[in-house]
Amino acid sequence: MTQFIDVDVRPILRAGGEPFSIIMAALERLEPGEGLRLYAPFKPVPLFDVMASKGFAHREAELEGGEWEIRFMPDDGSFGAAEPAPAALSGGDWPEPVVHLDNRDLDPPEPMVRILAAMERLAPGQTLCALLSREPVFLFRELTKRGHQWRGGFTPQKDTYQLTVRVCA
Amino acid sequence: MIGTSLCKWVISYFAVAIVWLLLAEVLVVAGFGFPNHDIGGPDTLVIVHMVSIGWLSTVLCGALFQFVPVLVARPLYAERWTLPALALLTFGLTILLAGFLTLGGHFDGPPRLLPVGASLLIAGFALVVANLGMTLWSARPLPRPARFVAAGLACICVTAAFGGMFSLVLSGAAIGAQWPDLLVSGVPIHAIAGLGGWLTFTAMGVSYRLLAMFMLAPDGDARLGRLAWLAGVAALAVGAVGGVLALWRATGVNLALLLAGAAALLSLIAYGRDVLGLYRARKRRALELNTRMSLVALASLVAVAILSAAFVATGSLPSHVGALAFLVAFGWLTGLVLANLYKIVPFLTWLETYGPVMGRVPTPRVQDLVDERRTLKWFVLFFAGSWAATLMLLVDAALGFRVAVAVVTLATLGLGEELIRARRLADVAEPLRLPTGAVVPHLLVLRN
Repeated sequence: MTQFIDVDVRPILRAGGEPFSIIMAALERLEPGEGLRLYAPFKPVPLFDVMASKGFAHREAELEGGEWEIRFMPDDGSFGAAEPAPAALSGGDWPEPVVHLDNRDLDPPEPMVRILAAMERLAPGQTLCALLSREPVFLFRELTKRGHQWRGGFTPQKDTYQLTVRVCA
Repeated sequence: MIGTSLCKWVISYFAVAIVWLLLAEVLVVAGFGFPNHDIGGPDTLVIVHMVSIGWLSTVLCGALFQFVPVLVARPLYAERWTLPALALLTFGLTILLAGFLTLGGHFDGPPRLLPVGASLLIAGFALVVANLGMTLWSARPLPRPARFVAAGLACICVTAAFGGMFSLVLSGAAIGAQWPDLLVSGVPIHAIAGLGGWLTFTAMGVSYRLLAMFMLAPDGDARLGRLAWLAGVAALAVGAVGGVLALWRATGVNLALLLAGAAALLSLIAYGRDVLGLYRARKRRALELNTRMSLVALASLVAVAILSAAFVATGSLPSHVGALAFLVAFGWLTGLVLANLYKIVPFLTWLETYGPVMGRVPTPRVQDLVDERRTLKWFVLFFAGSWAATLMLLVDAALGFRVAVAVVTLATLGLGEELIRARRLADVAEPLRLPTGAVVPHLLVLRN
């Protein structure tokens, strides 16, 4: 039976904070075989890839009020019921994203502006992860022109497009 | 997906279209065509085709070249076909109109003008349908809005085929003499496939995605648009297939049209319900002018549905068909198109101008390219004029109709100027207007 360490990022996000570093710090402290139980105000889709690349499978449960409980467990192959990350999205050979953006509620074309602005601040080879409500077809054109690479796809629920972009090296 | 590029000639399509619209409006104000002349007469046909082909079809083709790739996340099949198609449509229409003017005795031209013009138009539409059709084909299975477009493309083929046959009959060609009754009974199918199938059904499909995008409303539900789609396809199938069969058997055209009308009404009701649902589910509280005006245009479509049903019930449809066609063409389609041009042109201009420098230097927002307060008055004039003109047709006030269309013309000029200002970045405040690396766009051609 897996032991879980609880991390509740809901208050951090409500206060406008960035929970990613806290999740990563908790991960560092896990003992072998231990899992991480995360409480979040939304489904943290980008995190699934990051955790998968670190060898964690996950199991998700929706709580009341649209909040989520996600259990991340060391993936020893016994965890077949977990939702697999889409092949195109798992950035195994790409570094973890330095920047995470949730652009789902922004008026178009603001998501594109923010992503391009954030990309300018990254070093070559670094990556950015963004959540969008649509496939950003006009952004791809600018990314191509600037020589950036990207991977993306809709989440299984089809309501969020998850995009990872890597600055041209 | 490799990303959507900008279609170079989109703005040229829009510009040519607006010139045709203005020309048609000026002719109506001058008293040319219906209601001063017979609704089926050659003068009215000049106006009808200027509006339906020159304005609405040209603008729709341009918008689809840019929007279908977005809808299906695939590049346009052949960008190089877009300019030849525009040339064929414009040239073909000019010759067709010369043919109608000859028919009306304004002009002493050869009788083959009509079939020659129709052939050029058919060639132009064939290029458009092939280009968009191949783009859609590469993206199967199609998302629902794209299916509306596919059905619309099928309808323009039906419309063009009938139009081609009419041109043979009207020009007195030997082959046309074999179908003497075609004009009487085929015109409703030609008009319904054109106004209803090609223009309205395509606009409905595209508006599902555009409204959801601009209102930030979720449109992922697979049921969204299903009833409108099924009922609409049923209406078009019954109208076109049933209509052709009825023509062949020389009976039952009215029954086919009545059934098609009932299915069309159901489709429109379902569409109205869907749009209302998107509106209620929207995350963006304050809507931009283009969305608000699209909804006003939609109100015209609702009025068309209600009035049609009422006129059918009272048996007075034949005497009011001109007023209804005007309301469809102006209150609904022209209103919807102008509202969306007011978003599309500034957006494409913004992307073209500031895309290359975005994120590197401060750039204006899309909203900074337009002045909604100033533009609102043109839209108010446009819709008030269109509705007043419809009313004047309903009460048979020909002079009142021309005055109302004069107001519509003024509004069209005003909106045209707003679009030119957007292309010229005239409303963008310094110092954001032209940051280092950005170039003022050409008026009529997009850099891609």
